[in-house]
Amino acid sequence: MKPTANEISKSDLKASIDYHLRCSLCKESPTKEHRDLFLSTAFSLRDRMAKKILKTEQRYQKSQTKRVYYLSLEFLIGRLMGNNLHNLGMFDVCRELLIEAGIDIDEVREQERDPGLGNGGLGRLAACFLDSMATLDIAGFGYGIHYEYGLFKQEIDNGYQREKPDNWLADINPWEFKRTDEKCIIPIYGRIEHFQDRHGEYNPMWLDWNVIVGIPFDIPVVGYGGKTVNWLRLYGAGSSEDFDIQIFNEGDYFRAVEQKVATETITKMLYPLDTIKSGRELRLVQEYFLVACTLKDIIRRYLKSNENFDRFPDQVAIQMNDTHPSLAVAELMRLLVDEYALSWERAWEITQQTLAYTNHTVLAEALEKWPASLLERVIPRHLQIIYEINRRFLEKVAVLHPYDVDLLRRVSLIEEGETKLVRMAHLALVGSHSVNGVSALHTEILKQNNFSDFHAIWPERFVNVTNGITQRRWLLDANPRLAGLINDTIGDAWITDLSQLRRLEPHADQTGFMDEFRDIKRANKETLSEIISDTLWLSIDPDSLFDIHIKRIHEYKRQLLKIMHIVHEYLQIVRGEKTPTVAKTFIFAGKAAPGYWVAKQIIKLIHNVGQVINQDRRIRDALKVVFLPDYSVSLAEKIIPAADLSEQISTAGQEASGTGNMKFMLNGALTVGTLDGANVEMLEEVGADNIFIFGLKAEEIADMIKKKTYYPVDYYHRFPEIRRVLDAFRDNVFCPDEQGIFQWIYHRMMNNEDHYFHLPDFFPYIQAQDQIEAEYLDSVNWTKKAILNVARSGKFSSDRSISDYNRLIWNKKFPN
Amino acid sequence: MQLKHKKTNDVLIVRPLEKRIDASTAAEFKKKMGEWIDAGNRQIVLNLSEVDFIDSSGLGAIISGFKKIGNDGNLVICTVKESVMSLFRLTRMNRVFDIYASETEALDALSVKA
Repeated sequence: MKPTANEISKSDLKASIDYHLRCSLCKESPTKEHRDLFLSTAFSLRDRMAKKILKTEQRYQKSQTKRVYYLSLEFLIGRLMGNNLHNLGMFDVCRELLIEAGIDIDEVREQERDPGLGNGGLGRLAACFLDSMATLDIAGFGYGIHYEYGLFKQEIDNGYQREKPDNWLADINPWEFKRTDEKCIIPIYGRIEHFQDRHGEYNPMWLDWNVIVGIPFDIPVVGYGGKTVNWLRLYGAGSSEDFDIQIFNEGDYFRAVEQKVATETITKMLYPLDTIKSGRELRLVQEYFLVACTLKDIIRRYLKSNENFDRFPDQVAIQMNDTHPSLAVAELMRLLVDEYALSWERAWEITQQTLAYTNHTVLAEALEKWPASLLERVIPRHLQIIYEINRRFLEKVAVLHPYDVDLLRRVSLIEEGETKLVRMAHLALVGSHSVNGVSALHTEILKQNNFSDFHAIWPERFVNVTNGITQRRWLLDANPRLAGLINDTIGDAWITDLSQLRRLEPHADQTGFMDEFRDIKRANKETLSEIISDTLWLSIDPDSLFDIHIKRIHEYKRQLLKIMHIVHEYLQIVRGEKTPTVAKTFIFAGKAAPGYWVAKQIIKLIHNVGQVINQDRRIRDALKVVFLPDYSVSLAEKIIPAADLSEQISTAGQEASGTGNMKFMLNGALTVGTLDGANVEMLEEVGADNIFIFGLKAEEIADMIKKKTYYPVDYYHRFPEIRRVLDAFRDNVFCPDEQGIFQWIYHRMMNNEDHYFHLPDFFPYIQAQDQIEAEYLDSVNWTKKAILNVARSGKFSSDRSISDYNRLIWNKKFPN
Repeated sequence: MQLKHKKTNDVLIVRPLEKRIDASTAAEFKKKMGEWIDAGNRQIVLNLSEVDFIDSSGLGAIISGFKKIGNDGNLVICTVKESVMSLFRLTRMNRVFDIYASETEALDALSVKA
């Protein structure tokens, strides 16, 4: 549904902004201060959203709508001003108002900080899903953590990443409502005392716990059209008021203050870990804290209009985003059994019918496992419950598969060994009615590999829901030029139904449309070139091919393969083997986890390669290498509309889905990629002529690993092109003043340690790039393909993903 | 810590007058309960009508009294506010202790047990 054009008049908006300037900020009106304008405009929008939240809630209560709660340790919501203005139908009115005051809306929007409450795709997916749920009028709410410090700010010093704290709350966050009236008290630590109850039955008592207070901060989430406003509730940790009284007990003062500081540290910082986990206690505490606050809140809300838990699964659906909130299984059981006195069997039935789990990775090192000893110390009652869940589960498996001891060992929630570990993925699986992967390929890998045993036991639990992105942020807001052209051509129904973009197909080879499309891409590239110039003092040719690789830095995403291609091209040119026909600008961005040495070295490598190439006169601007620092949602919004070529070159079988790939497709970039994650479905949608697929398939790689047939050193000796690239790293071509810093790449290959198959994919990748170069010269054909990518991207809307979740998971029917 | 107590027949009724039984008062409470039990009191009603808050050390003090009495008598609880009752449920103490809505009910129940 489209926002009404008269959602608000210019004069009303002006009055509201003036009011907030004077009364919320105590500043003079009018003003040209961008920060003050941003805040007062945001407060004005928040006023409207607050009213709509209340109306939406009344509607939900009246219709007794089932509520969906999306639990995630990360929400990369990005800046909200533009998104909220569009969804409320107020963007044009606001822009015009500011123009009349001589102010550019984009400059006001630049005042907003990116809340970096996530590491990458998983967090951004959660944010897209909230937008889609609100737009589709689903009673869907997010629960997360109100980190005081988000993902670190990335600075570059001599090519090296330096992490700086991201104090996103340094200034006012105008969007949130602090709800101290709805705080909750959470027990943690302590011990179990073994008792008997009144009937002589075993009764474990959880004693001597500390108390954390969870304070909610609500951020409105407005759906497109402004009819539905849900919320994202983020919990911050505080010490209890009762504790504060203890401060006045002189003898305990310092200990009391230490405890207060320790409590408030819980939500101080987002763990910048992406796929590599370090098993830190504070992270476990964060995960438990979120789950405990969330379930307490959900149950409190449910019991306002229900006397018992009979209807709980009918009224509540909880989606666990990866295993991070999987303690919800144990906590829900604890609440139902311990605090609400349900029988174990009934509580388990309710738990399984309420919870669902989304898996996001097949990488072994990313599957969370916590030492049982740590759980015993932090949440002793939950460990007991997990053991009991496991005992009952294994009992059932043993009945189905008698004498298969190895199966029991494989599926157990507990991994025995020197250190006993709790397998959180198994806990999530066992406690959920549904488990989904995030692309068709990924779900198949889960069924056949990682979770094959569980699939054999419960095939009906496994479904696929391919990821998606919200077109409202990633096209309407990020690429207004292209959005405008599409609106003028086929209308704006695509904003809430992305499949409508198919109606662009007949225009894909119409000269007028193609010219406009091409002009828009050029204009976007000029804008990005200016940003690069302002940020890096580097001049970029907007007519060059913008070849873009932006994502977290990780070996499986193979930024190294991209660099090898660039070095290969460079060596070809300087050796006179190739006369470049297409100027290329290679643009990188992304952060490395602070403890991930290789990833940080890759960032350094990109900078050093860039420095050499960008200054080599023999290249004559045929190649440029750019690394834009401090990658964020806002930076992605600036880069993606300018892309010609999208790099999605992960080692096949490793990227569960990807979502950056979809954003590029939506914005008219062509993709070069492996058959991995959602690339497979992109190929199906767009057609083989309109995408550049190369390299080994997941099953081929699996086979090579199994048979141990891959030796990188063989490729080095057989192929001179590979040899000279690796020799360049070994011989300090890109680090003349820092000798030896890239030799690790050469040595890894020589020691047969290329776990991500860069070398077997090297030639297929080069061939694909040569084809890309040839096709780019035919700008008419290239533009047509780009248009077809846009036209056929409808499947990848998060609206579709959420519809799938709603149909396949949240409204799943259970037999009585 | 302010603790009111009285004997009715053989039952000792203990009523803390503090709003809170926490780290600052729990030790004294535990000590006092211990002394009463050592003095031979075996039927005890703990009236929590004045108490708004008990922390884990306060709960520990109550359990300590319960364990001390053991099978030799009864320690029951009455008139518990919801804020305290929720803590009993959290710890599962509500399954161990008999909890009554009023002092009268508690006394009646103890006389039946006797």
